[in-house]
Amino acid sequence: MHGIRRVRQTQEERQASKRKELAKIEEFNALTQRILARKKGNDWSDEAFQLTTKLLQINPEFYTLWNYRRNILLKGKFPNSSPEQVHELLEDELSMTMTALKVRPKVYWIWNHRMWCLEHIPKGPASDGEPGADGWKQVVWNKELFVVEKMLDADSRNFQAWNYRRFVLASMPTPRSESSELAYTSKKIEANFSNFSAWHQRSKTLTSLWAQGKLDESKSREAEFELLRNAMYTDPNDQSVWMYHRWLVGTGGGKDVLEREISAIQELLDEQPDSKWCMESIVHYKRLLLNNYAKDVDTQHLTRDCKDLLERLETLDPMRRLRYRELAGEIGPSTS
Amino acid sequence: MSDQPSTLLSAFSRKAHAAHCKLCLSGLPASQIDVDGSRLALAFYCLGGLDLLGVLEEEISPRNREEWRTWLWTQHAKGKYGSGFRPGPFMTGRDPRISLQDPADYTNYDTPHLIMTYTALLSLAILRDDFSKLDRKGIIAFLRCCQRQDGSFSTVPGSNENDLRTLYCAFAISNMLDDWSGVDIPQAVAFLATCRTYEGGYGQSTFCEGQGGTTYTAIAALGLASAVTKKEYLTRSEKQVTIEWLLRNQDDSGGFRGRTGKEADACYCFWCGGSLKILGAESLVNSEALATYLSRCRFKYGGIAKAPGESPDPYHTYLSLAALSMYPPQVHDGNSTSETWKFGVLDPLLNAREETVAWIRSHVPDRKVHS
Repeated sequence: MHGIRRVRQTQEERQASKRKELAKIEEFNALTQRILARKKGNDWSDEAFQLTTKLLQINPEFYTLWNYRRNILLKGKFPNSSPEQVHELLEDELSMTMTALKVRPKVYWIWNHRMWCLEHIPKGPASDGEPGADGWKQVVWNKELFVVEKMLDADSRNFQAWNYRRFVLASMPTPRSESSELAYTSKKIEANFSNFSAWHQRSKTLTSLWAQGKLDESKSREAEFELLRNAMYTDPNDQSVWMYHRWLVGTGGGKDVLEREISAIQELLDEQPDSKWCMESIVHYKRLLLNNYAKDVDTQHLTRDCKDLLERLETLDPMRRLRYRELAGEIGPSTS
Repeated sequence: MSDQPSTLLSAFSRKAHAAHCKLCLSGLPASQIDVDGSRLALAFYCLGGLDLLGVLEEEISPRNREEWRTWLWTQHAKGKYGSGFRPGPFMTGRDPRISLQDPADYTNYDTPHLIMTYTALLSLAILRDDFSKLDRKGIIAFLRCCQRQDGSFSTVPGSNENDLRTLYCAFAISNMLDDWSGVDIPQAVAFLATCRTYEGGYGQSTFCEGQGGTTYTAIAALGLASAVTKKEYLTRSEKQVTIEWLLRNQDDSGGFRGRTGKEADACYCFWCGGSLKILGAESLVNSEALATYLSRCRFKYGGIAKAPGESPDPYHTYLSLAALSMYPPQVHDGNSTSETWKFGVLDPLLNAREETVAWIRSHVPDRKVHS
């Protein structure tokens, strides 16, 4: 069960094994009791610190001990240390958590401790106000970005890593430009069009750049439509591309953009008559025209188009047959 | 509404799946050590599984049920942050057998954990605890300590781990207690809204991509809040967009995926299927395909896995049973196979069987206030 191979053991071996395990559990419990007693007594000594290291290595989920460890640093170690020493202590913590993460990469408390350490790196090596005051910080945050990029190379859909990436970018003393983030998402998308996490990050980055006026919104939007056109033709079955397209259309441009995109998708549909995504998207955009520009469009024609496509979709995408049928009933009065 | 009843489904081996839950309650191999940090959640999945199979009383002796109720109560913690339940015994370093005799030695740092408090309450309800030991005021105080300025809830007071899961748990606990004084609903709902993505799903926190699990917590949380405030938190259009995103997550295998572009996984059959049910769109799900997918996730010797061919675990077993309770396959009535696929009714908002929810309603709220 659970992929563990059974090893045949004699009765004696089993009992010895059990005794060993019980001894370990007793040792762990005794250690826990000792540490908790020290914590209760506000013991900020190095001895206490070493005990937390030992226990956290065994059980990094023991969140109160991470709290205690941070308190020892804040109340025991930092007050008697120069900025260089504090910097070194925190570098050690970063090292320690890195080792722990290699074994247990998903334990939130380890990441949390890491974030705390990063945020507590002091000003240095130069004093506050001088050039180089953010030197230490910049180095650790750069390293952290590198760590996140390695994680995303290993699993580009790891949404916690993307989230952590956003945290790191927001925390850097000298922020990376959002245009460079846009370039990062391009890189990830080019490596794999179905990387929806990268498309998602891209939508967030563009929204921010447009809001800040750092990119000409309509030019940028056109460039995105170009990018998407390529992607659609390369792999018309990729859901991520179509979802991003939907977001892009939703950012503005009105009736003209809708009609132009519908045309473009229709062209693709003519080449790929079984493309469910083309049909579904055309229905979606034609519904937008019907809902938002009723006075300026041929509603009868559009309604019939939608109903026809929905009927075809019932056959092409039977999993969602019931939804297509329901939609067809909702789209305007029947004109047949 | 369906084309082909699942006459091809083999009998659902209820005994084998119950055995899997029971086995996992008694012990897990070292490969599962990661789960020790969430023992109370694990207990809930196992007990919940037995409850949904309707075999809790016949499979678990009254003595065992009493022992487990007692074990759950030993995870209770009380202190300056109010009351609640801890994830497991590792936090006190005490032999749990000894602590049964001690009066509670609750300390400030034995903080309860919000998600574990939710699973503990459900587990106790499944075991038909009378809740006479419940410190209702303490739990309300704990919820208050966990709610942050932005409206979200942290897992433990003062921590940064805050996302929609904890928000849902806070709402569910308030619903069970029938007391919302521990929660600032408008603030919480404001945070929840920032987690919505353009696709119509909800991410774990602001800026994250939409994900099935967190979408469930969002939709269920809004449903729980609506029942109290009588407000509609989503426009018709927002509901439609969410329903479409959820429906699109059912892939060709019949199972549901958690995010755009990912593979199907049995647990999302619950997270996405449950959301659709709450939104009133369950008739649009291809429930035959769903049941067929889950039936393929069954492990030969009991338990249900995340995908066909994988190893089973209590989490996927429970959530698959919950999904099947909402979307049972249509089988021809009358034969012995069809009986095995019948499940009780699940309350999708609290994620518990109707009978268990009835027990909660009559035992968890403060009777002095509500009589």
